Amino acid sequence: MRLESDRLGVAAFRLGYATIFVAMLLPIFIVIATSFSASGNLQFPPEGFSLRWYGAFFADIQWLRAFDNSFIVGIGTTVLATFMGITAAFGLEARKGRLGGLLTPVVILPLLIPPVILGVTLLVYFSALGLQSSYIGIILAHSLWATPLVFFVMQSVFQRFDWQLRDAGMDLGANPIRAFVHVVLPNVKNGIVVSALLAFIISLQEFVMALFLSNFQTQTIPVLAWNSLRQSLTPTVSVVSTFLILISVVGLAVAALAMNIDFVAKRLG
Amino acid sequence: MSVETGSSTLDRLWAPFEAQSGSRRSLLLMSPLILFELLIFVVPFAMLVRISVSEQSQSLPYAEGTFTIASYLEVLQSGLLQGIIVYSFRLGIIATAVAVVLATFYAYATWRADGLLKSALLFSVVLPLLTTLVIKTYAWVPLLAPNGTANNLLLAIGLLSAPVQVVPNTLGVVVGQVYIVFPYAMLAIYSVLSTVEWELVEAARDLGAGRARSFFEVVLPEIMPGITVATIISFAWSVGAYSAPALLGAGSDRPFALEVQEQMLLNFNWPVATALSTIMLVLMFVSIVVIYAVLGRFGGDVSDAA
Repeated sequence: MRLESDRLGVAAFRLGYATIFVAMLLPIFIVIATSFSASGNLQFPPEGFSLRWYGAFFADIQWLRAFDNSFIVGIGTTVLATFMGITAAFGLEARKGRLGGLLTPVVILPLLIPPVILGVTLLVYFSALGLQSSYIGIILAHSLWATPLVFFVMQSVFQRFDWQLRDAGMDLGANPIRAFVHVVLPNVKNGIVVSALLAFIISLQEFVMALFLSNFQTQTIPVLAWNSLRQSLTPTVSVVSTFLILISVVGLAVAALAMNIDFVAKRLG
Repeated sequence: MSVETGSSTLDRLWAPFEAQSGSRRSLLLMSPLILFELLIFVVPFAMLVRISVSEQSQSLPYAEGTFTIASYLEVLQSGLLQGIIVYSFRLGIIATAVAVVLATFYAYATWRADGLLKSALLFSVVLPLLTTLVIKTYAWVPLLAPNGTANNLLLAIGLLSAPVQVVPNTLGVVVGQVYIVFPYAMLAIYSVLSTVEWELVEAARDLGAGRARSFFEVVLPEIMPGITVATIISFAWSVGAYSAPALLGAGSDRPFALEVQEQMLLNFNWPVATALSTIMLVLMFVSIVVIYAVLGRFGGDVSDAA
């Protein structure tokens, strides 16, 4: 009797997580499938197969400009967030201090504030500074979200590093910066690659803040996708989405190769 | 460039730091981020609060240099805005409850799995997490709309006699919002769960505890910190939901984020938009403190989970 109900329990357990697994990936699968649709309706399963919406995408100057904008903003965010995140995590590792203890909660806070409120706040602020609808404004906004991730990834990377190695380098006469570049950096470079990738992906995918902070000239891909969705559902949006998903998959694969997926997953949580 | 010049550049970089003490140096390293948080986070929010206590203006977004709490009274006394605030919190509570329960289950399954299955389960969570909100939201439209995949399928096999309108409707909003916060909730729980030793559960089972009992009495107290973080994240983001209600909701699905956007960009009524934002932030902060205190009583130190 006990065994019977046990087997039933195991079956229900497997069915449970299999259902969630499918539900998690189904929307992404639908987006990719509908991008190859032959008709103009966003329907699943798609009616026929064609690459016409891919052709439409590459012929549309507006989408191509949005792609450029997303890359400018993404690279700017990656550089800024990686620089601030690494230096702060390194400084905190060396010595905590009272200010350091305060820094961690302040850095987390933007992640908990609804993006619409952040967007409104920064719109007001950047308008006063004359930065509204500028690349710099969007980069600064995205860095509010990307920097905490870099900061926490690098904190745990620095914690795993054997600092006696660096001390040995300094005993041999290297100054701290030289010891950092020649001893610490080679050991933590995978962590830096992962955090830079995450920063880039976060910027690439963010849209609510960008919606408030961009205009027709500076809008990023998700913003343009959102605006065109609100007018009509066409497979072109699925084409763009497929590219965005592809970039995330490649970035994730590189990150998983550098650190393994378990590590990346835990840092995101 | 030779190695020698590279090293001397590093020596020159070091020169200004040489005289500083250790704590000054680490402060210097943290200063870019500290400065950034001050200028791009603290100061803008101070400005938000300042505008929320300014007078409204006909021709400008707000009247500079004035002081009044009229916009706060307007928000708190308007039945329409009260309804919007209540809607946001209800969506927050429902989406959070569903997401956290499912996430705990999925995190447990991932923890118990190994090899390829474990990687696949993690991948299924990380990929949506790294996908833009826009995609995560609109992908549900062809699936759940009255003429969408799910309805056609259920009609074809005879489980439904007429299509159900899930999208646009409140149910669609909840589905979309749960889908958005689920990956974050699952990973927050999983990262704590992965530090728990399976031997603990085995010991409980050897002593006669069943599957359910060993989960609720052994595993759950251990992962409470992760569940607390998952709850707080899911709640904060669902109360602030924007894309799911905008795209998957009916006209009556109106959370505060949509109202703020409209007041800000269409009505150019900045005092009301900022007052509503400030009120929501205060209410959310209070709720998070309550969640933290209530869940904290059931176990563990939440700071482990960060």
